[in-house]
Amino acid sequence: MLEELRMIKANKIEKTYSKAAILTPVLNNITLSIQKGEYVAIMGTSGSGKSTLMYILGCLDKPTKGELELDGIDVYGMDDDALSALRNKKIGFVFQQFFLLERTTALDNVLLPLIYADEYPDDAIQRGRQVLAQVGLEDRVEYLANELSGGQQQRVAIARALINDPDVIFADEPTGNLDSQSTAEILDILDHLHQEGRTIVIVTHDLTVANHAQRILELKDGRIAEIKNP
Amino acid sequence: MTRTIRIARESVRMMGKNKFRVFIMMLGMAVGVASLTLMMCVSKGAYERVMDTVNRQGPDLLQIRPGTDVQTGLPSGSREVVSLIEEDVRAILQHVGNIRAAAPVKDRKEIEVIYEDKFTLTRIFGVIPVWAQIRNFGPSQGEFISEEDVSFAARVCLIGQTVKKNLFGDQDPIGQTIRINNVPFTIKGDLQWKGISSAGRDRDNRIVIPITTYTRRLFRDMHLTQIVITVEDTKKINKTIEDVKTTLRDQHNITSGEPDDFAMRTPQDLIDLAYGTSRSLMNLLTGIAAVSLLVAGIVIMNIMLASVAARKSEIGIRRAIGARKKDVLKQFMIEGLFISLIGGLMGIFLGMGGSVILSSLDVTASKITPMAIAVVILSCGLIAVVFGIFPAKKAANQNPIDTLRV
Repeated sequence: MLEELRMIKANKIEKTYSKAAILTPVLNNITLSIQKGEYVAIMGTSGSGKSTLMYILGCLDKPTKGELELDGIDVYGMDDDALSALRNKKIGFVFQQFFLLERTTALDNVLLPLIYADEYPDDAIQRGRQVLAQVGLEDRVEYLANELSGGQQQRVAIARALINDPDVIFADEPTGNLDSQSTAEILDILDHLHQEGRTIVIVTHDLTVANHAQRILELKDGRIAEIKNP
Repeated sequence: MTRTIRIARESVRMMGKNKFRVFIMMLGMAVGVASLTLMMCVSKGAYERVMDTVNRQGPDLLQIRPGTDVQTGLPSGSREVVSLIEEDVRAILQHVGNIRAAAPVKDRKEIEVIYEDKFTLTRIFGVIPVWAQIRNFGPSQGEFISEEDVSFAARVCLIGQTVKKNLFGDQDPIGQTIRINNVPFTIKGDLQWKGISSAGRDRDNRIVIPITTYTRRLFRDMHLTQIVITVEDTKKINKTIEDVKTTLRDQHNITSGEPDDFAMRTPQDLIDLAYGTSRSLMNLLTGIAAVSLLVAGIVIMNIMLASVAARKSEIGIRRAIGARKKDVLKQFMIEGLFISLIGGLMGIFLGMGGSVILSSLDVTASKITPMAIAVVILSCGLIAVVFGIFPAKKAANQNPIDTLRV
């Protein structure tokens, strides 16, 4: 694989949690590569380590051992400030619980990552409205987060992930709290983003959701057990 | 727009989302700061009231009394001791330099005075004309006692403002006749208003008569109750005090090693009293204010800690989308600072209001000073830093993974 086409390269990643001198291995010898523009699903049962792997790939957590590159940048030795800057610039997150700020408008939620950007764009509000329109919420810009339905809240969360024009979007069970109609809408949006050329990594235990991806990595007991192409 | 300004704006926005919590913190701060403000205003007022007394009495005034008693922190002498005589005044004027004027004084308190069907108890002072300049106690209207009045032991007097009010009300007293100890006196004038002395006495409840009249027509006291002196050059006052003491000891045949039989009250005694009173009051009120501010700080810290716990997911998502630890720290510190300063301003206004009320009710003297306001604002900032840093650090050090896991 050509280096310039690679978005994520993980080599022999291990993660062990220790609490009160008890060591709990969660990830064991994970080696994987994700190309730019690829749509990858990470599947597994509860406790298989799929969310931990997503947090490590998304630079929110550090592996105990192993090497990790994001868009050609070695992130293993980076300090906390550098990782924060990297997340702000290159990564968008979507979570099962949406994690929007309550009593805050959809637009303000979407603009949140810009507060921590190196430069605050002059057209921030216009850009916020644009990404909300991209997820079909142009008529809900001034609604408070708690006035929106679950599906709409997740769409705001996707818009927030898009505001900094990230290279890769990590979605952790993005449809886990949604009804079937909202699930379909969110998956449509992710499909559309993929078609636009974005790299998407989705964590799910639902095969229907995973089937939207180009490639499925199945985790079992902290190891990649199977790689499927739906 | 810099990152810090963006974070500050975010802090303000988040405060607006949690109005009740923010209000409780501000209220805690306001109560603490109000007590600090009030403390500073009251102690400053108390100090200035005593200093005002010092200034009204004059920075060049020496008062000598018989005996060596001390009352309310000041040399007061004793009425039971008879050690001063008019010859002492002449000796001082003759032997001591730097003296502008000196006057003998005799006085008795609670003397019955009658005008027509009205009656009052007051203090009678027997003086000479120069006494008015020494004590800065001239007439507000009419004339003071003259040398002629003293020579002829004239039955004339000047009355203080309290006596005037008690006996005459709004009526003009000049030319009227009052009876002091049943002896008729013609009123030549009334004395300037003086207010309350540092010992808490009403300085307007007095009548002044010639010293010769006092001795020949009223009380036959041969001994003085006071000698009052003013000095020419206040820079040399300490030397003058020593010279006066030496002269009086010589006059009274006091040998070396024996104690004085008189007490001297100097301007420095009054200043020391002013500082002492101010300092004691300041210490007490500082203690109260410090406890109030400590409680306010603890209230802020506890509510901020509870707020950090309640806002775990907010902190987690901020970290996930790119906030550095120091950004989260800044956000919570700025929130603490705003709360402290706004609560502090509320407290300053409350304290100033309390100060004005206390002054207007004459409960205590109180004065608002820019220094007090500056100290209070600095205290607010200090409290924000001291009590806000712990919750802010706790927020900044939260692991985003722990807050984002379902």
